[in-house]
Amino acid sequence: MKKNHLPIGRALIQFFLIVWLFACIFPLYWLFSFSLKDNSEIFGGNVVGLPSQWIWSNYSTAWGAGKISLYLRNSVITTAATLFLTLLLSFMASYGLLRMRWKGQKLTMTYLMLGLMIPMHAALKPLLGILMDLKVLSTHLGLIIPYTAFNIPMAILIISGFIDSIPMEMEEAAYIDGSGVYRTAFTIILPMMVPALVTASIFVFLQVWNEMLMASVFVSTDNVRTLTVGIQQMFGQYQTDWGPIGAALVISTIPTLVLYLCMSSQVQRSLIAGAVKG
Amino acid sequence: MRKVLSNKWHIMVFVLPTVLFFTFFVIIPIAMSAFYSTLNWTTKTKPTLEYFVGFKNYIDMFTAKGSSFPDAVRHSLLYAGASVFLQLPFSLLLALLLARGVKAESFYRNIYFIPVILSSVVVGQLWRKIYNNDYGLLNLFLRAIGAETPKGGWLANKGTRLWATFVPVLWQYVGYHMLLMYGALKSISPDILEAATVDGATGPIMAFRIQIPLIRPMLKVCLSFSLIGSFKLYDMVKILTDGNIGTEVPATTMYREMFKSHNFGTGSAMAMFIVAECLLFTVLLNIIFKDRDRERSR
Repeated sequence: MKKNHLPIGRALIQFFLIVWLFACIFPLYWLFSFSLKDNSEIFGGNVVGLPSQWIWSNYSTAWGAGKISLYLRNSVITTAATLFLTLLLSFMASYGLLRMRWKGQKLTMTYLMLGLMIPMHAALKPLLGILMDLKVLSTHLGLIIPYTAFNIPMAILIISGFIDSIPMEMEEAAYIDGSGVYRTAFTIILPMMVPALVTASIFVFLQVWNEMLMASVFVSTDNVRTLTVGIQQMFGQYQTDWGPIGAALVISTIPTLVLYLCMSSQVQRSLIAGAVKG
Repeated sequence: MRKVLSNKWHIMVFVLPTVLFFTFFVIIPIAMSAFYSTLNWTTKTKPTLEYFVGFKNYIDMFTAKGSSFPDAVRHSLLYAGASVFLQLPFSLLLALLLARGVKAESFYRNIYFIPVILSSVVVGQLWRKIYNNDYGLLNLFLRAIGAETPKGGWLANKGTRLWATFVPVLWQYVGYHMLLMYGALKSISPDILEAATVDGATGPIMAFRIQIPLIRPMLKVCLSFSLIGSFKLYDMVKILTDGNIGTEVPATTMYREMFKSHNFGTGSAMAMFIVAECLLFTVLLNIIFKDRDRERSR
């Protein structure tokens, strides 16, 4: 396109874009420098600057005494299990809904898509009762089950949109060769679905990894507590020692950041898919 | 193949587990919430029809003395307004600037998106530090230029607490809206822009006459995300102020009613109100944007 504005206008635009750039990158810098400081620097001495002494021991304090290693393990277990279950169920359902022929396909799809409009807040109290009856409160399953249930609609939306683009001939050939329905679905269609599965996984990962409300209501023991709630609790307990809390925040952000650094365009794509749900 | 793919047993194996799971853990709980919302259920009563009170909870939550729900709803509407009239235009401006082609376009885009993926704990704690009365960045800056700082701190002062709570959320999701709009802007055919340029359209005219009308469908997505998000707002408010008086939003008030006051009936009514609000706004947006969408062939 033609660039026909005045140089001063262009400079102003650059300046504006750079200011906002700093506003967006500042949290990461702040987080990192804060995690290596001690209280005297955090409280007034040196709020913005790099730490005068890099106190790496904040990390070992958070890891051990702050129980971050435990919370991290819990977050990993919960997120991994939710991802596996959600993807498995959503893939199978999408295959059944789009490739198989039966009455009520459309209706079932609409029914599942209802879930996109329902905020999980609305189910808290009844879910608490149901999970209690199932005796899974304060176990990993107590989070995995509701997380999976609430993420299924989104995952189906992403996956089914993709299944549609795979030509039916793929399966025709497979079935003519005598391949059964399970083998066809899991060894022929599933491998072709990787991009959609990645998109869905990223979306589910961010939802589950950052979730706070259910994680605080359905869990009451440290053995199951996830990072978000665990760290939030540290703010009450370790009022006097902020450095390790900063370290805890960094540790909890690393998986998200690594994911983003490695595949920023996929992460962006999956969150766009999450918004354009209509 | 027809036989394989219309085999009832196969269909059941593939679809039924998901449908059951979803029904049992999403639909049934919502239905139960709807039922609970009509009961006088506290720690002293049980969730049975014996305590049926009809719509009393819905009326009470708005009219009962000391109920903070009307304020909470008002706050969420204010937030929705701020999101629509400040956050979205700002995101649109960023998207337009990036989409017209600047140096290191994708670098900017990637960085602008970072706040979106951070957890609310991180973002919330960062802003608590920024707002801190004694050593917060904001007050350090204000003192440096000799300006006054709000009494009691940004998050407690009557005049500033509500907006101080909203700013971090607005800030966090600018990158999200920017990305959605940027994507839509980039998918406009270059021919159209070329033709407009030949006709003499530049900067603002191009934006208002050509680009913005063409990304209307995406603006609808952004609007609905903003509005629905405003009723679901919870994490950040919880972290910043714990939804204390003057900063409460529907979800924090519901949480309090349910898990602090143990008024399960009224709490459920609030929960249902949030669901209804989300549905209502989705429907409204669909009506408003309907004519245009029909023209757009899919």
